[in-house]
Amino acid sequence: MSSPSAPIALTVHLALVSSISFGGFPTVLPDVRDFVVVTHGWMTDQEFANFFAIAQSIPGPNMILMMSFVGWKVWGFPGALASAFATFGPPCAIYFAGYRLWDRFRDAPWQRIVRLGLVPVTMGIVIASGAVMARAADTGWRTVALTIAAAAMTLATRFNPMWTLLAGAALGGLGLL
Amino acid sequence: MTRAAAQEQNVEQSVPLAALFTAFLLVSLCGVGGGGGIVWTRRIAVEKRHWISDEEFADIVSLCQFMPGPNIVGIAVCIGAKMRGAIGTIAALCGFLVIPWAVGLSFGFLYLEYAHLTVLRNILGGIAAAAAGLLIATGIRLLIPHRRRAAALLFAALAFGLVIYARLPLLAVLFGLVPLSIAVAGIENTRAR
Repeated sequence: MSSPSAPIALTVHLALVSSISFGGFPTVLPDVRDFVVVTHGWMTDQEFANFFAIAQSIPGPNMILMMSFVGWKVWGFPGALASAFATFGPPCAIYFAGYRLWDRFRDAPWQRIVRLGLVPVTMGIVIASGAVMARAADTGWRTVALTIAAAAMTLATRFNPMWTLLAGAALGGLGLL
Repeated sequence: MTRAAAQEQNVEQSVPLAALFTAFLLVSLCGVGGGGGIVWTRRIAVEKRHWISDEEFADIVSLCQFMPGPNIVGIAVCIGAKMRGAIGTIAALCGFLVIPWAVGLSFGFLYLEYAHLTVLRNILGGIAAAAAGLLIATGIRLLIPHRRRAAALLFAALAFGLVIYARLPLLAVLFGLVPLSIAVAGIENTRAR
């Protein structure tokens, strides 16, 4: 299936791309696909796409899970474990160092200005990611209505979001969407 | 509040490591689909436990956008670090990763077996539509403290439009708009004095 060095090559590659995955791991997914499907032929395009769909639809750390499926395909359970570590390890070290640095200058006047400029842009992007998800999920007027109702509920009340998600699951399961 | 006073308060109300572990375990298990991490972390860390304010949370989310990696993991790292330092980070990370990873892996293999079931697909479709609404609302909530600054609303709308309509890559939007937005905030600040 694959040479003994395959798991090492995969782990090293994942550790590298996770260190440069600015904007979240999905930004480097095309590169990972090239590496495991085209360059090494460890799995088919269809398998890679299936792993993505599953990781998106189950709870938990999605991209870490997806890379674990990829690692599993290459080297079984140890491969899954190694891929998971390679995906979250390097970014976690960077996050920790970055937060420490930000916190050290907490009271600096420039940080207040940076914050005023930075937060609106990133929130625009967060809302945009919600809209991108909505575009993929909303297939008719009923699902659009559900998305709008979910947003309105969250803004107007402090209702536990779990009820909103369960309502979505129930409506979908009953075939009402 | 001065930094020393803030630190003193943090020491007084030291958050137990187990609380960090369970909070991020919940965040991880509840967050279905992309972006769920932001919705649930805000719900638990800001609304329920009052560990941090909406402003601090918006800071952390923004900071994580600028660093590589899965952003929701970054939020766990930062809040853990804020509440309890390095050990807090490890507690939050373990909560976020260990159990959900094992559950998700087994669930994934089950799902591969039953992926053909229409009911399962419909349920997941309904959850995805609701989850999209939750994420949009959370973004709007975190923007509310900035609602009185016209420039803030303009830059939020620009970021939204460039991602959705111009389909620019995230990184291009971040590095294109953020320096401009910070420059405008700087100018406003000097004028206000």
